[in-house]
Amino acid sequence: MNPTTSDSHLTDQGKSGALSCSQVFYRYLPEQPWVINQFTHSFPPGIILIKGASGCGKSTLLRLLAGYLVPNAGVITTPFDGAPTEREYQRRHLGFVFQQLNLLPLATVMRNLALAGSLAGLSSHEINERAQKWLQLLGIEAFAARLPKSLSGGQQQRATIARALVKEPAVLLLDEPTSGLDDLNTRVISRALRDYVTGDRICIISSHDARLEPIAHDILDFNRFLPVERHLEALV
Amino acid sequence: MTSSTLIASYLWKDTWKRWFEQPSSPLARLFVTGLLVLVATAILVVFNLLERSLRERLERFGLNTVLIRESVTPDSKELITSGQGPDRLAPLSESGRKLRLRQLFVRGQTEWQNSVIVFTYPGDALWLLSDYLSLETPSIYFSDSLPEDALVKVTVNRQSMVAQVRRPEGWLRPMVTDDILIVPQGTLLDEERLGFIETTVFQRNPDAMPVAKIVSAVNALYVTDRRTPAQVQSSLGLIREWEQLKERQAQWRNILAGILGLSLSLVYGAIAILEFRQNLYVSALLRSFGAPPRYLYFRHLLENALLANLAGLCAIAALAFLHGIIFGTLGFSKVVLDLRAGNPYLSPETLVILCWVNIGAFLSSLPVAFGLRQPVGSILN
Repeated sequence: MNPTTSDSHLTDQGKSGALSCSQVFYRYLPEQPWVINQFTHSFPPGIILIKGASGCGKSTLLRLLAGYLVPNAGVITTPFDGAPTEREYQRRHLGFVFQQLNLLPLATVMRNLALAGSLAGLSSHEINERAQKWLQLLGIEAFAARLPKSLSGGQQQRATIARALVKEPAVLLLDEPTSGLDDLNTRVISRALRDYVTGDRICIISSHDARLEPIAHDILDFNRFLPVERHLEALV
Repeated sequence: MTSSTLIASYLWKDTWKRWFEQPSSPLARLFVTGLLVLVATAILVVFNLLERSLRERLERFGLNTVLIRESVTPDSKELITSGQGPDRLAPLSESGRKLRLRQLFVRGQTEWQNSVIVFTYPGDALWLLSDYLSLETPSIYFSDSLPEDALVKVTVNRQSMVAQVRRPEGWLRPMVTDDILIVPQGTLLDEERLGFIETTVFQRNPDAMPVAKIVSAVNALYVTDRRTPAQVQSSLGLIREWEQLKERQAQWRNILAGILGLSLSLVYGAIAILEFRQNLYVSALLRSFGAPPRYLYFRHLLENALLANLAGLCAIAALAFLHGIIFGTLGFSKVVLDLRAGNPYLSPETLVILCWVNIGAFLSSLPVAFGLRQPVGSILN
């Protein structure tokens, strides 16, 4: 299997404020091969695009970084020097956009945003202010009072991103945020992400959408971590 | 709004939508719980009423009373109409008071009652009956229904007499199960010649030997005399019956509690697992925002507890409402059915049923608690 590596030209490795993985192993079932195998890497502030073939473990890595999965071995450290499974990190500092549209079906777009903001400890005033801002930037303020089922796929995806951004998290993880979206929707999302990721904020995007490459400060090719025998498969 | 209010509001909306879309789910739970609680409560109420019925009989009979009955047929040497025959039970007089009466094989009639039991009393029993006798007539008419002290005309084989109505209270109560007429011996001579039941009412003194010993002594007396055993009735049988009933009640209470708790756990648990699989996505999504899993668990627990208690209380209330009709049909007397004398629906037994309902609701939520331990990342894509 592949040795571990790190790849960054933005900041120095190990610098405080990075999201780092050390010797991380993960597999879904004991009898299955490792999906994440002895992975060590530090994600510095900025937008990092993780590219790779389907099934190479990009989405699994994002879920590990979010604390939604727990590594079988190894350590993941958040920029706040804690574990990603800490509820405080998940509530206040983490924004996650799933590959599938994951809006609460019975809540309006605004209520979806309010729930996320409220769990992050924001006041009603802050929630309203930020919700207005991100809904406007993502071009969906007109749909704030609508239920998700009445929105198109692109509008729902933008609402999902707005929900992740409303708490203005230090770590933003996006799993295939533009898959299946047209150029216009992709441009709106790219612009919003570029505007958001400033200072110490970390944004990791898992995608093989080349349209997102221009906004990335760093690109991590996840194919490099695949076993040799799967390289050919990935190339095909 | 606070996050907890928002989550609670969303979860309530989610629950309501699920109930609305699949009404069979809450209805099944309501029906199963209601039915189980109804059956369990009905059984426990029947036990309660049986116990009360026995207690009432015991109170009526008296703890120290022994009733001895012996048939005297027309061909018997003991059939003495003028005066009294030998009294074998005379030794009992040392241990309490004793009244020796004859129950005739004929019945009397009044304007309101066609089958009045007729007794005769000997002259030496006058002092024992003095509380009931009046100057108007030497005949007594014991009745619970006719107005006290009223004079009634009773006809026995075309022979009429006037008797004064008295309440069968005190130590003579055990011998009165229906309206009875007591007249002096010799009043109905022809009827006495047909035979009678020699009836002895004995009330033990508090310091005398125990009732059980008295009953044994009487039985032994009849065996020694080589006579047909007399029918001896005492409170012992009732007390034994009462104890057996209480024992059975305790057994049934445990069995019912077990069945109730287990059935509810299984039914609710199965429904909870099915519904949790449907709601896994929303639960995982809320957890991904950082919503505490205990919120989601409490939603299921609260939902189950709400439905179970609602169904349980409604079933108990329905049974209490139809108490008189249902248990009256089963033959319980009005005195026993009177809820003012003790309400079995507010008894600890009913509370135990509701406790088991809640234990069932709690047990059924355990699969959800285990399900909520599943990592969010393995549910959401």
